[in-house]
Formats: sequence, structure tokens, C-alpha cells
Amino acid sequence: MIVERRLTKAKVTAAANTYARGIAVELHSDASPDVLAFERSHVVIYLEGALPSKPAAGVMEQKDRRFTPDLLVLPVGSTVSFPNLDPIFHNVFSLSKPKEFDLGNYPKGHTRTVTFSKPGVVFVNCHLHANMAAVIVITPNQWNTRADETGNFRLADVPPGAYTIVAWHKAAGFFRQQVTVSENGSTPVSFFIPLASDTSLAAR
Amino acid sequence: MRFATRTFLWSFGPIALLMFGSFWNVEKLVQLTVRDGIRTSLRHTQESIAYVRARSEVQNSRFLRMAGENASLKAGMQLLRAEPRNPEARLTVEDQLREISETLGVDFLLVSSPDGKPQAGVMRIGEQFVKMDMARIQPPRGGFFTSESDVYQIASTPINQAEENLGTLTVGERFALSGLNTPAVLLHGGKVLKSSVPGYPEPAIEAALSGCPANGECELKLGGENYLLLPMQNAPLGNGYELRSLQSLDSAARPLQRVLQNVFLITGLGTLLAAIILAVLCSRSIVRPIAGVVARLRETEKTGLLPEFQSDSNTIAVHEIRQLTESFNAAGRAIRDARDNLHGAYVEFIGSLAHALDARDRYTAGHSRRVSDYSCAIARALGLADDTVEEVRIGALLHDIGKIGIADSVLQKSGKLTGEEWALIQQHPTIGRRILESVSGFHVYLPTVELHHENWNGTGYPFGLQGEAVPLAARIVHVADAYDAMTSSRPYRSAMNREDALRILQQNAGTQFDPAIVPVFAGLLAPELKSPAAVEDTDAALRSIRNLNSAIIGEPRRPEGALA
Repeated sequence: MIVERRLTKAKVTAAANTYARGIAVELHSDASPDVLAFERSHVVIYLEGALPSKPAAGVMEQKDRRFTPDLLVLPVGSTVSFPNLDPIFHNVFSLSKPKEFDLGNYPKGHTRTVTFSKPGVVFVNCHLHANMAAVIVITPNQWNTRADETGNFRLADVPPGAYTIVAWHKAAGFFRQQVTVSENGSTPVSFFIPLASDTSLAAR
Repeated sequence: MRFATRTFLWSFGPIALLMFGSFWNVEKLVQLTVRDGIRTSLRHTQESIAYVRARSEVQNSRFLRMAGENASLKAGMQLLRAEPRNPEARLTVEDQLREISETLGVDFLLVSSPDGKPQAGVMRIGEQFVKMDMARIQPPRGGFFTSESDVYQIASTPINQAEENLGTLTVGERFALSGLNTPAVLLHGGKVLKSSVPGYPEPAIEAALSGCPANGECELKLGGENYLLLPMQNAPLGNGYELRSLQSLDSAARPLQRVLQNVFLITGLGTLLAAIILAVLCSRSIVRPIAGVVARLRETEKTGLLPEFQSDSNTIAVHEIRQLTESFNAAGRAIRDARDNLHGAYVEFIGSLAHALDARDRYTAGHSRRVSDYSCAIARALGLADDTVEEVRIGALLHDIGKIGIADSVLQKSGKLTGEEWALIQQHPTIGRRILESVSGFHVYLPTVELHHENWNGTGYPFGLQGEAVPLAARIVHVADAYDAMTSSRPYRSAMNREDALRILQQNAGTQFDPAIVPVFAGLLAPELKSPAAVEDTDAALRSIRNLNSAIIGEPRRPEGALA
């Protein structure tokens, strides 16, 4: 399979001394043979509709000039803390509609928290480091998940009823399907997410 | 100095000097022209390089302005402003600068606060970017930045957020003169920071540059070579930095000059050779005839003879010299004629004097002439040169001239001579010499006259000289005189016959006479003695003595045994 475009923004840097820039770094070949595994694991699946939410606490670290993890999926009302583990300052901010915030500059060991009260996709960046980017997807309820590397996902304990199930990918956008969940039993849902002319993701 | 050398030098010297002078001047002129041309071309090259550099600097400044708009860096600057003392804040910005350097590919990055204070910076050392020690960094103002190990060419751009100035970003590239296509020097306030002029240490260049104006063209000497110093930038680099190219005029001009030198050398040598040949030919055409004339004159000086030169146009090509030799010849001829005339007159005069002397006494009539004839014959037989034979002839003619001073009573006395009278007789060679001494041109005859009574064994008079101490002419005359005396009548005796006279000569050869001359004389007389008739024909004087038979040898009147 020929990959024309990598969607990943993951920058592979040398682990040894991150702050000594200028060292030539050889990009290691992907460990997984499936080059789309990363993209599949970054597909977010959630349900729309009036369902109860159970806020949770997320952590998004700033480490080695990267946000770790680079994707958080949390139900609405959750709080995310942004601890800085780097020896340098970071300035986490977002200009996204669901939640605009700017945590200001803070050094290592400090952390700041943000509570997300509206559902939506929040793109998180750092003022000081243009290449630092992360996404926090705030779902309307607690039924959310991410596909695994093979593209499989599972939403457990969904009350029977008709829902709109949404698949979101950063590059491909939103994909919606109507699904009716019956009591006892699983309902298979398949998404076909095109990324480029000859690459696409299939999530089931 | 020889005439030929002198002529050559005078004809060659000025030509060579003139030629050398003009060649030297022309060569200098050409060198100057070449140097001028090279200077102009270097200047043009430098101007175009400066133009290109200026263009690229403008391009660079545009890229730099983009770097100044880096949002992350602006955030970093704000962080620095908020946390000026925080090392982590500085580390953050340093990290940002490292990242910018990766994208811009520069070697030096520095941010300063709006008031110009350096805040954070990194520079490439080896493969890594290391942070700069802000405490030890002088705020850069443009142009160049000098660290302990390197010189960076730097440029700055402001970092503005909206209308507010956050500070200044300064980027620099390690400045390497090797990147320039000409040898150059980087100066800061007259100090040489960097130099790519091969072969000269920086202090030497600094010393040589000390006399040059601050920013302009300058010619200087470095290690004996001429260098041209030209500014390499159109606008001043600022902050006292100057970048100048330093190029050797000499080495640029050298290939052309070498060609010119070769041309001049070949032409010069060729012309010199031609001049030498011409000078030699010219001097020879003058010197040769003159040298010939001079050589002949030298010869004349030695021999005393006046030469005659060949003066036809074949042997002497130069008209003037031919005329010279002709007039010399004419003069020589005149002198020779006059001398011959004078000499002839003298000889004639003396001859007639001798004749008159002989005529005083009937016994001695014709004696001098006969002795002269005999002597001539002997001299010829001895193979003497004509000149010498002539000397002998005249000497013999005059040999008894001294008898003028002796009284007839003594000369013609028929009786026995007293001792006094004999002493008088013996004075006649001396008297003869005295008479002739005063006659110019007769010096050659004096020995013959004075010494013709000297004997081989030293018993003669007036000096008693021996053997070859007596000149040959006198010895010849001695023999001839004795023979004629013996074969002539005397008042005191009759003539001896010739065989007897010859015998007596032969008997006394080696004692009284030269033993070499007597046999020659005998040889001359031999044919005559065999056929007496022949003698009568040839010599009338000898005829009269043929009948005389009294010998003079051993006569008591001649106590010395000499013959008169």
C-alpha cells in the first residue's frame, strides 16, 4: 500500500536528549505493519442524544514538547489538568468554540486545569511551541470510545433506543449514522472514513 | 687600452646604453599599464561582488523579517518579559531559538529586549547549539559579532506584537572568508579579526594596513609585494566592522609580466647581439687599416727604415686612411730621397777626402778604395745583409782618414821610424774617429775606423781588444788592409807577391786576424791566384803590386807585428 500522505502529526524525536536540538534523527520505521493503525486509533466514536453524562478527570501532560496523550475523549462536564513535565515553559491554550482558554505560561511542575462544560472538539495548542497540538473531544454523554488499531470499537451498556452514532476523525470530520439499540444484544455499526483517494479507514 | 677595443666600446657602448635605457623605460611603462588595467579589473570585480552581496543581503533581510513574525517566538518574548529572571523562561526561548535555527539554517541566534539587552541566545558549536552566556555578551548592533572562537555575520529584525516592540531577533552565520572568492580581511576598528590572505600572519597585515584610509581603496606593500585593498561592501557594515578584499597586484600581473619580460628579453638580446655585430664590423673597418699602418710604423721605429704602404683601394677600403697612407708614403719617399742624397754627398765627400789622402803619397794611392773593395767582397761572401755590406764598404773607405792628422814626414819616411814617430802612426785610428764623430749619420762607421788595427789576440791598438769584442766590420777591414799593405810598395820596401801575402795572412789567422775571415778571403782570392791574367782585367790597382816581393812581416820597423 502506498501512503501518499501521513495524517499523523506525531513527530518522532530522539529520546535521549530532546533539548539538544540539531542532532540528526533517523525516523524509525513504524513498528506496526499497518500504517493506518495510528489513524484508526484516533477515530472517536460517540452517541448523540439526551443521555446522562458522568464527568471524569483527564490529564494531558506536556512532555518532551508534546501533549501526551494527543487525544482525549471525555464526557461533557469533565475536567482536564495540564501538568508541565518539561524543563521549559508551556502556554496551553485553545481557540475552539466549545471552550476557549489560555492557561498562560507556567514552568515545570506546575499544572492548570480546565473544565469543559460544552460538548465539541477542542483543539489545544501551545503559544510557545507551534508544533504542539492535541485534541480533546467532549462528548454529550458518557458513551464514547476510540477505535483500536484494527478499527474495532465497542460502546457498552447503551440503553435500548434510537440514537445517532457519530464517528469523528481530525482530518476526515464527522460521520453520522442512525442506530437502533435493542435490549440484550449488540448492534453492529460500520463507518467508512475516506482519508485520501486510495486510503480509507473502516471502523466497525 | 687597445685601439680596437676603444673603437668597439665607443661604437657599441652608446648603442647598448641607449637600448638598455629605452627598453627599461618601455618595460616599466608596460608594467604600469598592466598594473593599472589589473587594478581597474579588480575594482570592477569587487564592485559587482559587492552588488551581488547587497542583493543577497536584501533577500536575507526579507527572510529574517519572516522569522521575526514567528508567533511562538513572540510568545517566548512575552514570557521573557514577564519572567526576566527565570532560567526556565530563558531555557524555553533558547529552545525556541534552536528550533528556528533548524528551519533557517543559521549558526547564531540571539534575542534582546527592546532596550538592547541580550536575553537569550544560542550558537552552533560543532554539531550542537549551545546557549550563550548573557552576562558576557556584548549587545550586538549589526555587522559582525565576535565570540571567543568565531566571527558571525549578523543581521537583526524587530519582534513586534501588534504595535508593541517585544525585542530584537539577531541571527548570524559563521563568517568564513573562505566563502569569498578573493582573499579578504575582516577588520574591526583597525584590528584584523580574520584574514584569508595566504602566507601572512594577521599582525603583519595589520601593520601593513595601518597606513590606509578608513574605508576606501588603498595600495600597500606586504612582504615586498604590492597589494590592492578594496572595500567589499557598498554600505558600511556598521559598528566599526569593515570587510575588504586584499589582492596581490603583483601575482595578478605576474603572468602577463612574465610574457612581457620574455618578449623584452628576447628582443633586447637580439638587438644587443645585432649591435655587437654591427659595432664589431664598424670598428674593424676603421681599426684594421689604421692598425696596419700603425704596425708598419712600429716596425719602422725598430728598423729605422721608412716603410712604403700599399695604398690601393683593395687593401684599404676607407678613403681617408688611403689618403693618409699615400701622403705618408710621399713624405717617406721624400725623406728617404733626401737622406740618401745627403748620405751620398757625405760618402762622396769622405771618399774624395780619402782619395786625396791616398794621393798624398804615391805609395798609398788607391789604398782606401782597394781595401773597400776587398772588404765588400768579404762581407758579401760572409752572407751579410746589403745594408751591412754598405756599412762595411764606407767604413773601409774611411778607415785611414785619421792619417790626415799625421805629418807627411812621418808617413812618408823611408827610413826607420823612431818610437815617437811610431806612436804618432798609432794614433791615426783615434784621430779618424775624432774627425768622423762630428759628422751626423757616420756613427756606424766609427768602430771600423777606430778599431781596424785591433788584433784577434788582443795585441792591436788603440785599445787591445780581443776576438769578437771588435766589430765584424773592423775585423774584415783589418784583414783587407793588411793584405793591401803587403801587396803594395812602401818607401821602405817593395810589394810582396800575393801568394806570400795570403800565406802570411793564413799564418796569422787566429792571432792577428779573425780565423773565420781569413779562409773566406783566401777563397775569394783563389781563382785570381790561379790565373793572374784575370786579375789584371778586374783590378788595375792589384796589377802594380804583383811584382813586389818584399815581405813586411817580421820587419824590425814594425815592433808590434801589426801591418799598416
